[in-house]
Amino acid sequence: MAEGEIAIGIDLGTSYSCVSIIESGQPVVIPNEWGERTHASVVSFLEDGTVLVGNSAKRNIITNADNTVYSAKRLIGRFFFSDEVKKAQAVMPYKIIEGENNSVRIQIRENVYSLPEISALVLKEMKSIVENYLGHEVKKAVVTVPAYFNDNQRQATKDAGRIAGLEVLRILNEPTAAALAYGFGKDITQKIAVYDLGGGTFDISVLEIGKDVFEVLSTAGDTYLGGDDFDDRIMTWLADDFLKKNGIDLRLNKYCLQMLKEASERAKIDVGRDAVAKIRVEGICQDPTGKVMDLEATLTEAEFNRMVMDLVQRTFKVCDEALQSARMTAADLDAIILVGGPTRLPIIRTSVKHYFQKEPMAGIDPDEVVAMGAAIQAGSLMEAKSDHYLLDVTPLTLRVGTVGGYTDKIIEKNTPIPIERSKAYTTNRDGQDKVKIRIYQGESNKAAECELLGEFEFSGFRIAYRGEVRIEVTFEIDTNGIVHVTAADVETGQKTTTTIRLSSGLTEEMIRAAQAKTAATQLARGAAA
Amino acid sequence: MMDETFEIEAAALAQVLDELDYFQILKIGQGANPNDIKSAYYRESRAYHPDRFYQLPNLVLKDSIGRIYKRINEAYVCLRDDVKRTKYLADVSGPERQRKLRFVEASEQEMKKDKEQEIGTTPQGRKFFMAGLSDMAAQRFSAAERNFKMALTYEPNNPNYKSKRDEAGKLIKNDMTIR
Repeated sequence: MAEGEIAIGIDLGTSYSCVSIIESGQPVVIPNEWGERTHASVVSFLEDGTVLVGNSAKRNIITNADNTVYSAKRLIGRFFFSDEVKKAQAVMPYKIIEGENNSVRIQIRENVYSLPEISALVLKEMKSIVENYLGHEVKKAVVTVPAYFNDNQRQATKDAGRIAGLEVLRILNEPTAAALAYGFGKDITQKIAVYDLGGGTFDISVLEIGKDVFEVLSTAGDTYLGGDDFDDRIMTWLADDFLKKNGIDLRLNKYCLQMLKEASERAKIDVGRDAVAKIRVEGICQDPTGKVMDLEATLTEAEFNRMVMDLVQRTFKVCDEALQSARMTAADLDAIILVGGPTRLPIIRTSVKHYFQKEPMAGIDPDEVVAMGAAIQAGSLMEAKSDHYLLDVTPLTLRVGTVGGYTDKIIEKNTPIPIERSKAYTTNRDGQDKVKIRIYQGESNKAAECELLGEFEFSGFRIAYRGEVRIEVTFEIDTNGIVHVTAADVETGQKTTTTIRLSSGLTEEMIRAAQAKTAATQLARGAAA
Repeated sequence: MMDETFEIEAAALAQVLDELDYFQILKIGQGANPNDIKSAYYRESRAYHPDRFYQLPNLVLKDSIGRIYKRINEAYVCLRDDVKRTKYLADVSGPERQRKLRFVEASEQEMKKDKEQEIGTTPQGRKFFMAGLSDMAAQRFSAAERNFKMALTYEPNNPNYKSKRDEAGKLIKNDMTIR
């Protein structure tokens, strides 16, 4: 390791991101020059070609709505035809378009960006916060993702890191990172659950931690459930009420919608802290006669709890699943760790306490603990010898497509990684020179209900009568949770050529072009938010 | 830093990986209990976890360690599960040991195929077969045999239909000798 060379830990969140490094053996969160410790994952493209990232960019969601991208994590690694993308198109003020191979692109003025390029700008900001602080360049990072992220989403996040000019040492699961930060330096043997409710995703991981071992026993999640959904409930309530009173639907105008969204997020935070939220947005719209109208409402805790109860209950269905996979009950757990901003809400804390029959651990910052865990892991990968071991699992069952729209299990969910499994295939036709397989992740045996990871085409094996050539396909899931597929001719051992088709990801060429583009992008320094 | 003994050991282990069963991979006896298995897994993880060798410049050795560790995980997944472990132990204690050193579960498709083989792949075949089974349960063996024969006209190669037909046939014979 070169003198002074360090690796940083980045929690790349749906709503907020955070960066941490190891100083004197302890993880510390690095604030930006305004003293802010968490940074909105918002990218605002300014008229002069510079880019604003973070809390100052967040203010532009209203004033520069078309050119300000937020919640990009909800879209990263998704296909254009997915429901999440359709939903985003309806509510996001920025323009979401289709790229090649069913991929998603964002159009800002005359420029088109892939999702990894947008996330790369957030990562670049995190990188420069540390560089400002240390006074020298950093090149390596551990970046966290929701444990329930599939291969496409992990690969896209890794690409984002590379585009930002970072060598991504590891894609680390957020709950695992939190557990690492919790158990780091403590000599404890415990079974714990990490309840991680972020801005856009929910994860639960059950771990067994020992002196130097962090073993994930199971993980489960919902990548369509987060704090944003709580905001949406308040938004619907406010908009419906306004419609009833004034006959104007605020949701029809993207400008009004953004003001409504901002007010809803603030109301959620206020009601969580003060048990009541006074909502007031001046000049939210004009009535047909041109009179400027204000939005005013009072949200009580009881009302709020009623609105979001079903969302809270949904998290516990996922908890049931994780405990069952770990062959445990809530009573077997020694500690509960809460992660993510929304876990500050009293409704979450009391529901979690009720479900697990245990008070969640105090003294853990739910906004910073993931970045700190990432920094610990980054530090230990940089050292020649690690003094703790993360034994993590794959969250989703890996499958291969079979005839008639069905799939077959290859590697079961909650299997420790890295792992590999081989399967032999044979040709169906005389003289066949290609074998194609499609791989999926998901828990249904129907292909349509799983996430397609890609189609692989193998060629360059012997050409013979049907059934004579046997091709052994090896499926590997690496320590990042990323899938690799290779194939070899069983008889000759000759590796075949693998071509990836039908993938939402970026090609090497595209990544290199994006790296140059991102390196040339000037990050503007906004004022403190 | 890594000592030379470990280096030699790891290289040697990678060489013979495909000849070892999961008990040998985890260095435990076939009678190991769940606690033994877990501590063996932790012990081997301490030795071979790839994170420990992240900065290793020797890429050949790094690759060997990666292969060993994947096999350690594979062994743990199988042996920590009682059902899989029982089947695996039978597999590696049998004559086909060499071929069954790596545990492979019957695929969903194969299981579906087996299930179909059992009760049939055609609607008519299944109908007569099920009727035959209820006749058997009610000890109406002649009726059962007729139904199994009818089922076989739809699926002449179904081995389960054949064996049930033969079973019903034998029971009819027994019946007659008693009378």
